[in-house]
Amino acid sequence: MTPVGHRPPRLAHWLLGRLLASHAREALLGDLAESRAPRAAYWREVLHAPRTWFAPRPFVTTTPNAGEGRVPQFLMDVRYAWRGMTRRKGMTAVAVGTLALGIGASAAIFSVVHPILLRTVPYPAGDRITMLWERDAAGERSNVGFLTFDDIAREARSFDAVAAMRYMNVTMTTSGEPRPLAGQRVSPDFFRVLGVAPVLGRAFEAADDVRGTPNVLILSDATWRDAFGADPAILERQVVLDGVSYSVVGVLPAEFENVLVPTAQIYAPLRYDASLPWACRTCRHLRVIARLRPGVTGETSTAELDLLAQNLRRDHPSEYATGGMFSESLSRYVTRDVRPALLALLGGVLIVLLVASLNVSNILLARGASRRGEFAVRMALGAGRGRLMRQLLTESALLAVIGGSLGVLLAIAGVRALVAIAPTELPRLSAIGVNGSVLLFALLLTALVGVLFGLVPARRAAGPQLQESLRSGARQLVGSDRVTRSVVVIAEVALALVLLVGSGLLLRSMDRLLAVDPGFDAEGVLTMQVQAGAGALRTDTLVQRFYASALEAVRQLPGVEGASFTSQLPLSGDYDGYGVHLQSRPSANPSDDPSAFRYAVSPGYLETMGIPLVRGRTFTPRDDERAVPVAIVSATFASRHLQGLDPIGQRVRVGAHDEGPWREIVGIVGDVHQESLEAEAPGAIYLPESQWEFVDSQRSLVVRGDGEVSALAPSLRAAIWAVDKDQPIVRVVTAERLVAATAAGRRFALVLFEGFAIVALLLAAAGIYGVLLGSVTERTRELGVRAAFGASASDLVWMVIRQGMTLTLAGVAAGLALALGLTRTITGLLFGISAIDPFTYAAVTVCLLLVALLACFVPAFRAARVDPMETLRAE
Amino acid sequence: MESHLGELEQLVILTLLRLGDDAYGVSVQTTLAERTGRTPALATIYTTLARLEAKGLVVSHTGEPSAERGGRAKKHFRVTGVGRSALKRSLADVRALTQGLGSSWSAP
Repeated sequence: MTPVGHRPPRLAHWLLGRLLASHAREALLGDLAESRAPRAAYWREVLHAPRTWFAPRPFVTTTPNAGEGRVPQFLMDVRYAWRGMTRRKGMTAVAVGTLALGIGASAAIFSVVHPILLRTVPYPAGDRITMLWERDAAGERSNVGFLTFDDIAREARSFDAVAAMRYMNVTMTTSGEPRPLAGQRVSPDFFRVLGVAPVLGRAFEAADDVRGTPNVLILSDATWRDAFGADPAILERQVVLDGVSYSVVGVLPAEFENVLVPTAQIYAPLRYDASLPWACRTCRHLRVIARLRPGVTGETSTAELDLLAQNLRRDHPSEYATGGMFSESLSRYVTRDVRPALLALLGGVLIVLLVASLNVSNILLARGASRRGEFAVRMALGAGRGRLMRQLLTESALLAVIGGSLGVLLAIAGVRALVAIAPTELPRLSAIGVNGSVLLFALLLTALVGVLFGLVPARRAAGPQLQESLRSGARQLVGSDRVTRSVVVIAEVALALVLLVGSGLLLRSMDRLLAVDPGFDAEGVLTMQVQAGAGALRTDTLVQRFYASALEAVRQLPGVEGASFTSQLPLSGDYDGYGVHLQSRPSANPSDDPSAFRYAVSPGYLETMGIPLVRGRTFTPRDDERAVPVAIVSATFASRHLQGLDPIGQRVRVGAHDEGPWREIVGIVGDVHQESLEAEAPGAIYLPESQWEFVDSQRSLVVRGDGEVSALAPSLRAAIWAVDKDQPIVRVVTAERLVAATAAGRRFALVLFEGFAIVALLLAAAGIYGVLLGSVTERTRELGVRAAFGASASDLVWMVIRQGMTLTLAGVAAGLALALGLTRTITGLLFGISAIDPFTYAAVTVCLLLVALLACFVPAFRAARVDPMETLRAE
Repeated sequence: MESHLGELEQLVILTLLRLGDDAYGVSVQTTLAERTGRTPALATIYTTLARLEAKGLVVSHTGEPSAERGGRAKKHFRVTGVGRSALKRSLADVRALTQGLGSSWSAP
């Protein structure tokens, strides 16, 4: 082995044997031996050995040799695969493009799903944070009153910290022009529950929550930068909100996301105590959030809360409904509306990826078939089957890697587009992006896809039947090959049908949803919200006077046919409900009385909004604070809660059951959807704004105009500001937009699903096209013979079309069965239509068959043009 | 297609021309070291030779194995006609650029 007396370092020698490329190995090791090179020289060569891989060598399989290093062989495979790909640019482009599309789309959807469903709560141990609710008479979540919260905080053992919160909308008049700010009023433990601490200053303490002490404020990072120019001396700075002075005591970290109120800019202490009228148990307007004690589960905490609820009901029977209380994980609550849609989208996109992989698999199968001769020769030269398969898998891996990389680029662009069209109420919208987890997901997909779609073609191309087939002739192999490719295409068609059915159902749901009558005439109505309370409007009387003057001013404007203020605007996100108690039917537990959405409106509201009057009368200017208190209820409210009675003339109390005036019902109006078009129209009660004893500082203006109503916005704003320039005006939007926006979430899902379905359909059609084309090419001889024996062109065309449509029908049958099973999972997304709606299934099937027919055309024509004379000549 | 020579490729071809029949890995390395003071690793030299061979500028033939080489064969290299032309062209390029470069520069 080695010359006498020469002892090369064994490790270096062994490494060189592995690391050197074959063209240099023999010669180099011999050189080192001949020159009796010292140890250092051997190690130097080890370091330089990898260079030998980068010399071009024609690929020739030598006899299997244990000395062949694995590493350089892999690189040689890669080079060879690359050359093969660049030689067949068209096929490669199609395969890479298809993969890029599939992997890119999947990665993009995962980018959306990941922060929303998998990392919903971006707080330490976020899965330990829960929301605490009461259950109302209908069994739904209900907010909590302050005294209830106080009891929970003191008595419940399941939680480390409990906090209450409510919205806060104020106007800051410190620097420059008045600036509306939105945020939350929170009890002192709020940030403790979340596990977040301000990065500047401090969090709230118990002392801050006491009325009478100096008011304090915590800012979000964005607000500190935007409104205060990131002032380094922000702490202790005085800020005036709605005429009251606050001292800034903290600034939150830039990464902090408030998942419950994403737009919160400021936080102030709640400052409730038992003496306040609105701290009552039935004043249910607080949301409660808590952090579970270590070792306590959600179920345990719900059990304890239920027990607590029982005690409360026993002690205050008229103030608690029978529903009890429960705890719900924060992540579940935040994603309750979007989870079904996101899961459906994830499922849909993975189906697209599967179809894409099948398509590429077929491309490789076709290619594999045409390289059979090449493989046979190489096997004859001694290449093992494993060797060939490894090389083929390298090729598919290379395709997958290139496709995957392009896919990631596509995903980055796609995610940007998704975020742009996503509905704004999507939780964690700001966290959506192509990050490390997404890249990891893309990597895993790429690996999976590369193996999956590479395996079958590799087995078939280099499989055991290769040697046999060469003996028995190629025809057998071609036949079984065609079967595999046909099966793949059938699978593609089936999957495409599933997606088509899904998007068809969603499309029809959308149609049904938009056909729902919102209850008012949205055309020609403009709305805007005014947030009075800043500057000079310190008292209720002043606020009331402001709104009266503003309404006067607005009504004078040209182009205004009707105008009115309302405390709550339909389909705007407003949610203001009160208990309604019937005088003629007092109930044992007033907390079980029905609740309704309360609208405190100026006279003319119902007419401006085009809400139809069913019975009785609407409000007039004479229904003011000196007149008998009156009310108008919605038809649903009347039919649900006043059956057996004539609603007109009944007397009701709104709010507390034992306080406040009895109001006489003077009219019934049509139902109006407040929350959304899909939610059932709830009971509603309308009151003249001057007869509501609490003054609503925030009201929405509704204006009906002739002509282009949104053009009125500037003059409306000017008119209101002419009365008082310090009152912010926000949420300027036409009623039509409000109605359209309620379906934003659905529309988002629908657009994406349609995209998936179209892509899958095109891929399936391409698959059919590919298989038929291949089949025609392979059977050219057969077709020529048939033609020579008298088959007409149309006979040949029919043969091809029959083959294609048979595949398609098989796929359709499989797809329908799959769809019937799978569409069950999107029932939650459907509206007004069943998951097995026959019309949708039929329409989609017809569409698919037509597209498949189109895909058959070119191959069919190719078959028709086969010249029998040429074929016979070639025989 | 005309090949253009890299710097090491140029040196290696020149070395092969000097060595004539005796050109193989170790002799090329030794000659380069003596003449230029540079000692590239054998791996580098063999890679360069393989590239030149692929471009058709040199050819190799494998000799007999011998005991002093531990039973391994020796690979000899020879410059082809194409290789000579390429070298001539490359040297001419250098000359063309160094011509008239100025008094501070004296061509080697």
